[in-house]
Amino acid sequence: MSRAQAAAILLSVAGVGVSIYLTLLHYAGVTPACPVSGAVNCEAVLSSFYAVLPGTSIPTSVAGIAWFGISALLWAWPFGPLHLAWSAVGLLTVLYLVFIEIVRIGAICLWCTAAHVLVVAIAMIAVAMWTSRERAAA
Amino acid sequence: MSSKRARQSRQAVRQPVRPVRKAVSSTPVWVGPAAVAALLALVVAVFLVYRWYTTPLPVKTPVADQTQQVISQITSLPASEFDTIGQGTANNLLRPISGTPLSGASGKPEVFYLGGEFCPFCGAQRWPLIIALSRFGTFSGLKASASAADIEFPNTPTFTFHGATYTSQYIDFRGLETTDRDRNALDKPTAAEDQLFTKYNPQGTIPFVDIGNRYAFTGAMYSPEALAGQSWQAVADELKDPTSVQARAIVGSANLLTAAICKITSDQPAAVCSSATIQGLEQKLG
Repeated sequence: MSRAQAAAILLSVAGVGVSIYLTLLHYAGVTPACPVSGAVNCEAVLSSFYAVLPGTSIPTSVAGIAWFGISALLWAWPFGPLHLAWSAVGLLTVLYLVFIEIVRIGAICLWCTAAHVLVVAIAMIAVAMWTSRERAAA
Repeated sequence: MSSKRARQSRQAVRQPVRPVRKAVSSTPVWVGPAAVAALLALVVAVFLVYRWYTTPLPVKTPVADQTQQVISQITSLPASEFDTIGQGTANNLLRPISGTPLSGASGKPEVFYLGGEFCPFCGAQRWPLIIALSRFGTFSGLKASASAADIEFPNTPTFTFHGATYTSQYIDFRGLETTDRDRNALDKPTAAEDQLFTKYNPQGTIPFVDIGNRYAFTGAMYSPEALAGQSWQAVADELKDPTSVQARAIVGSANLLTAAICKITSDQPAAVCSSATIQGLEQKLG
């Protein structure tokens, strides 16, 4: 296992941790420690219509647990196109969620942003590994 | 002969492929991740510009006289308007519940509302609530308000139940706004109301409306988007037109609420509850 793969696994585990924390807070009905005024407002984001999966009362962070969990397992295997595809799925989801935060809600949740940064970091590792694999093949 | 030419031609096409592969092989590893980061930064910048461009400016809250004029206008819609619209575009969020019938301070069946002034969905739902309740009684002290500016559907024009009173010979109404537009604490529910809120709304969503413990719902029956960027007077004017987006959403929601309230008043007053539209909706509610 390369150092990049180990880093991706660590980032994925951290993502599982953040997502579990947000899920527990949702079910406990508690807002995380986070500013509640202006552009950074976890309460505005986590109490919004978009904080749950459409048509359910399941918090979006449950999808985060699933994505990061699968990512951690995936990175334990040799790098391949599946890693890149899974990272692309994560990246597109992050873009959608950031769209909701900025455009629809008008506020950013710091804890959600932490999870988004982890997804982006994993995607960057996947792209870097893909590039170096292409170089090696050439 | 022609096959030899074709082979030569294919070779000619293949030749430029090699330099392209060489160019890829010399791409530094950091270029890919940097491109991802740059693309993300660009997309986020586009989102910020779009948000700035589409956020309605805060509409000036009307003074008391203007507010009263708007209230009078929306609470005196002709019966024909209610009949023409029916359910309109409203989502029927009402779900039957079976609890001890809820009664208010004067012993009449109670309609209970719990929301917050910052909340745009509460803001959207107050319009039809005021219209429906005004068919059974009279409000006084309603003030114009708007949802928070830093939330989805910002600055949604609405009213507040904080400090308002309602009188009716058929029902009691208790409307609580737990926080103001800046999320400072306002009305505090009693222990019994807290229990009611938790029992029928374990997720703690607002707005929460309980109609005599016979029906309850959370959220708004239509999207606050219908009110985006509108003044209070503009919304009131739109309600005169039964084909407008606002009328079909707000009056449609008011009809659903009216039908539910008629269920707890034993169809009183007849002038309101016996219309074919309300009777039809009552049947739909079950």
